[in-house]
Amino acid sequence: MDDLNVKNQPALKQFVPTPPRPPHKSERGVFGTIRHRCFNSIGNSLLTLCVATVLFYLVKHVLDWAVFNAVFIADNRRQCMDISPDGACWAGVISWFNGLIYGRFPIDEQWRVNIGVLLGLVWLLPLMSKRIPLRNFVLLSWIGLYPFVGGYLFLGGRFGAELGLVHGAMTCLALAFLVILYANWILSALGKKGLNELFVPLVSRFVERRIHLLSFVAVWLLVGLVIAFGLSQIALEPVPIDRWGGLFLTFIIAGFAITMAIPVGVILALGRRSKLPVIHWLSMTVIELVRSVPLITVLFMAVTLLPIFLPADMEFNKLTQVLVAVCLFAGAYMAENIRGGLQAIPKGQYEAAATLGLGYLHTMVLIILPQALRMMIPNIMTSFISLLKDTTLVSIIGLFDIMLMARNIANDKDWVGMHTEPLVMISVLFFILCYSMSQYSLNLEKRLKVDR
Amino acid sequence: MTTSCGNLAQKAVTETAIKIDNLNKWYGDHHVLKDVSLDISEGEIMVVCGPSGSGKSTLIRSLNHLEEYQEGVVSVFGQPLSRDRQSHKIIHQTMGMVFQNFNLFPHLTVLQNCTLGLTWLRKMSEREADKMAMRLLDRVGIAHLATRYPGQLSGGQQQRVAISRSLAMEPKIMLFDEPTSALDPEMVKEVLDVMIDLAKTGMTMVCVTHEMQFARQVADRVVFMADGEIIEVGPPEQVLVNPQWDRTKEFLQHVL
Repeated sequence: MDDLNVKNQPALKQFVPTPPRPPHKSERGVFGTIRHRCFNSIGNSLLTLCVATVLFYLVKHVLDWAVFNAVFIADNRRQCMDISPDGACWAGVISWFNGLIYGRFPIDEQWRVNIGVLLGLVWLLPLMSKRIPLRNFVLLSWIGLYPFVGGYLFLGGRFGAELGLVHGAMTCLALAFLVILYANWILSALGKKGLNELFVPLVSRFVERRIHLLSFVAVWLLVGLVIAFGLSQIALEPVPIDRWGGLFLTFIIAGFAITMAIPVGVILALGRRSKLPVIHWLSMTVIELVRSVPLITVLFMAVTLLPIFLPADMEFNKLTQVLVAVCLFAGAYMAENIRGGLQAIPKGQYEAAATLGLGYLHTMVLIILPQALRMMIPNIMTSFISLLKDTTLVSIIGLFDIMLMARNIANDKDWVGMHTEPLVMISVLFFILCYSMSQYSLNLEKRLKVDR
Repeated sequence: MTTSCGNLAQKAVTETAIKIDNLNKWYGDHHVLKDVSLDISEGEIMVVCGPSGSGKSTLIRSLNHLEEYQEGVVSVFGQPLSRDRQSHKIIHQTMGMVFQNFNLFPHLTVLQNCTLGLTWLRKMSEREADKMAMRLLDRVGIAHLATRYPGQLSGGQQQRVAISRSLAMEPKIMLFDEPTSALDPEMVKEVLDVMIDLAKTGMTMVCVTHEMQFARQVADRVVFMADGEIIEVGPPEQVLVNPQWDRTKEFLQHVL
């Protein structure tokens, strides 16, 4: 049959693709593109010239004020005005720069803030490496353990005295974890066994099950003890919380809100979707109540109302109250983001998980939440950015964050009435922070898109 | 039907794998399953066919409690199921399911899809789980795609991954809910081949499908359902070739 067909049909023509032709000359190169896009007709040429002129004057005006006519070195505002009356007076911002960043943190102790923030970043660095096993665990350890290190460095005091022994022990464990993390990272990069693997033969002599876990715990405790000995030799100057301020405080509040937003949001979102009426209504009440009230009100309530509800002998400082309020606020907003993501997951995913025998917790943690959170990255990042900006509101209840420090400049007798420059500087700072966050989220989206 | 690989005849004693007794289900006022009773023996391959809306998917989904039913009892290996923990355990230890839309986990690789249950529920070590999953993926002919994500595979490949994912949990009974209905005609065969292979191993299978050729070749018994009722049950030669009821005949004229 096939043979017959072949015989009856004429020989097939061979297809040869037509060679590609180069594009029109005017579209090539930078000038070609500009000419083609902006000067392709008389009307468009005029329009281009108009826009260019406006842009030129705008940029020139801003640059004149901010750079060319600006004063960078002066003792006070009077001097600034004398040198250049219509330029920015950056000298004031520069002389207050330390205050803007560290608030009223004692100057001699500011290295602790630097080291603390640096440690926090260093801890997160391994997340970028694909070589680290259990990367989620690194993130969890940061959330769970880093606050102890930060607290120890920022608050100071003799080891285990002011902050209590538990805090001291946790600090040591946290630092030990960081040391092991880095040691294992370096060792695995060199192609050698991890630190905890070295203990496996020793541990396996005593126990039969969970050898790897126990050997890790053994190394952890050992390194922790060494660090504890080291730390007990040092006494840091105590710094009370009300001396904290500036960008440093903004970072603490925003960082706390951002890290707690997801866990709190997930719990509230799952609670709202729960079939148990008490949990459902409780979560819904919290979400709706917090979302319908301005952040300032939540902050004021946290500072004035929270102490009334709590037993009299429990006393919180203002920062703790603010952190609780911000965390609740961030969580309530995040809950609705996450709920949107949860609703977008097809029913089939739940069914597939159920037929495999996965329970509620497994289904949520392994199947549903990773997909829902991934889908919601743009929304989550938008929330994070607005959280970072919203934290400046704490200046209203008297925490010396970067905003309040900026306003203090205008009250300084040397720089009376200087409002614009500090605000411009803060705007630039926040723009850099928020823009890099949004770029990071775009990058994250691109990286995670592979599996779609 | 010389190619029939049903192994029911060769078995001396066959245990009842699933016993469905007077199952009734309503969606609101709509009565979807009407007094459905059926026994499925161990090692039997049962094909359920019928027009859409006849309740065949609902029936198969009731077996592993993806659907709730109001009346009747489903027993698995002699154990009547209810909505308690014990029944859930029995269901998950004995039944695997393959869906029309594959329902693979898109954020996990093919291999991770298969090992998920092993590592988290069976507490198997990662290496063992990988080995077992690779063996299964090899059996369905897609071991070379283990590191891909489901979104990068064709429909037929995805469905084969879904079959391996279910098999990884070592079920005694496999439920197939229209496994080839969402596939391009060219890909139907590769999935059916895997199912035929599986049938040869003596797995108990309940398949809802419109593939009559498959039913003829593999099934031990064919169930014809319409309007929520079982109209005919019998060997494929009987139900598909010499139907006793006009409704069956009408359906077969449309399908064949």
